[in-house]
Amino acid sequence: MATSICRTLKYLQPTTCQNIKCAVSLLDVRLPQPVLVPIRTKKRYFIPPAVNVKQKTQSEQEDKARAAGVVVRQQYIERAINIACTAGIFDPYVPPEGDARLSTLSKEGLKQRTEQLRQGAASQLAYRKIKDHDPEFSTKGFPALAQQIFIDAHAALTQFNKEKLHSLVTERCYPEMVRGNRYKTLRWRFIESLEPPRVVHARCPDMISKGNLYGQVTLRMHSKQTLAIYDRFGRLMLGDEDEPRDVLEYLVLERHLVNPYGRWRLHGKIVPAWAPPKDPIIKTLIIPGPKLKPGEDFEDLNYQVPKPKAVQWSK
Amino acid sequence: MAASVVTWAGLAAIGRACGHIRSRLLGSSSTLSQVSCLHTSTELNSKHWERKNLIVYPPQQKDEPCRSAEIYHCRRQIKYSKDKMWYLAKLIKGMTIDQALTQLEFNDKKGAKIIKEVLLEAQDMAVRNHNVEYKSNLYIAESFSAKGKYLKRIRYHGRGMFGIMDKVHCHYFVKLVEGVPPKVEQKTGFDQAKEYVEQLRNRTIIHSL
Repeated sequence: MATSICRTLKYLQPTTCQNIKCAVSLLDVRLPQPVLVPIRTKKRYFIPPAVNVKQKTQSEQEDKARAAGVVVRQQYIERAINIACTAGIFDPYVPPEGDARLSTLSKEGLKQRTEQLRQGAASQLAYRKIKDHDPEFSTKGFPALAQQIFIDAHAALTQFNKEKLHSLVTERCYPEMVRGNRYKTLRWRFIESLEPPRVVHARCPDMISKGNLYGQVTLRMHSKQTLAIYDRFGRLMLGDEDEPRDVLEYLVLERHLVNPYGRWRLHGKIVPAWAPPKDPIIKTLIIPGPKLKPGEDFEDLNYQVPKPKAVQWSK
Repeated sequence: MAASVVTWAGLAAIGRACGHIRSRLLGSSSTLSQVSCLHTSTELNSKHWERKNLIVYPPQQKDEPCRSAEIYHCRRQIKYSKDKMWYLAKLIKGMTIDQALTQLEFNDKKGAKIIKEVLLEAQDMAVRNHNVEYKSNLYIAESFSAKGKYLKRIRYHGRGMFGIMDKVHCHYFVKLVEGVPPKVEQKTGFDQAKEYVEQLRNRTIIHSL
């Protein structure tokens, strides 16, 4: 069965007829005759798989396919991602040492308070920027709102209400709150607030492109809370349901200022370097230690369990 | 011979329907395992073995006895016979996990190595995800094997005859429970004989004087 082959005329020199005639008259050069070159244009719908084909790598196979004339359309792997929150806390607030211990009535406490009230120029600029985009924001009224968001978010976490939690907590904070808690029962109660919450810090970073503003506000909160975590079988893992604890927290709330539907959501917590260590969990754990040689004893080694460095970190 | 195609989902639906019918017939008796007259077959258990790790119990009160942790683990489509795997599963049933691991390590069968891997995986899972305190404090409550999906091949015989060869696969299931394994009462021959005599003596003769 003869396949149809188109025959095309192909000029060896890519010039127009007039140019050729002029050139010929000027130069008196004998041009070569136009040559007919057969070009295959019939598309092969089915290329049978080659017999005795060796295991070829992907690039070799692609080269072979291209040589055979198979054209693969370029695959556009595009997926639109909506970024609604920043990846971390920019320029985090460093809580001063002894923030929890000093009462506001003592002299040192008053000094600290006056220092904090000024709060730095950058924070003031940030408040101004936030007020430009969100006219309802005020340093006086925001803390109450923020505390309510905090309480609602943790209540939603106990019930594990995913939709409500996503609306109250940013995408960066959500996995940190929820990780490991899927098959556990959490019992959390907010009993009372010991001091009125205060805005201590604010920043307005922009992500990726200039003008894409996000507002991050840090809130200092001193309150009484109860927490008990039960594992999958209903056994107590951590905490006590009847014992309230005093908690000093530095919450960071964030809002996408440029977005008109943006909302203030919990973004993270700052744990200061001087924070007291947390209670251990009820069960005993194995800390991996040094490998012993056959004759050695562990007591003879005087192994010091490495303690983590006291560094401020945000969760 | 036309083979009817029964999908896995179809089988699951039939299994579930059987379960529903059985539970309705029983009436008040709730779970299958509590009724001793009902035989819990491997078919009914094996489909949802992985899902049994996902049930969350409500928190216990302080006066209730502590619920032991139960960890379910399985491995599917092991290239081994279910009947040969059964011997190993029966061997380790009821042992502590350390004892079971030791026995399997020095067993010459092919399935022993596979079961040992499964047990180590389950032990690691228990400590990491299921809040088990001591990894040696586990014992094997249930261990059984079930038939997997077989591949069919042709086995050539003489004179142009052929047979269909099954490439056998099996599943292996294990349930680890935290705590000390329950002691199984060893019944001696004398006790059994005594029971038999008791039964004979307790018979009543009806319509007698």
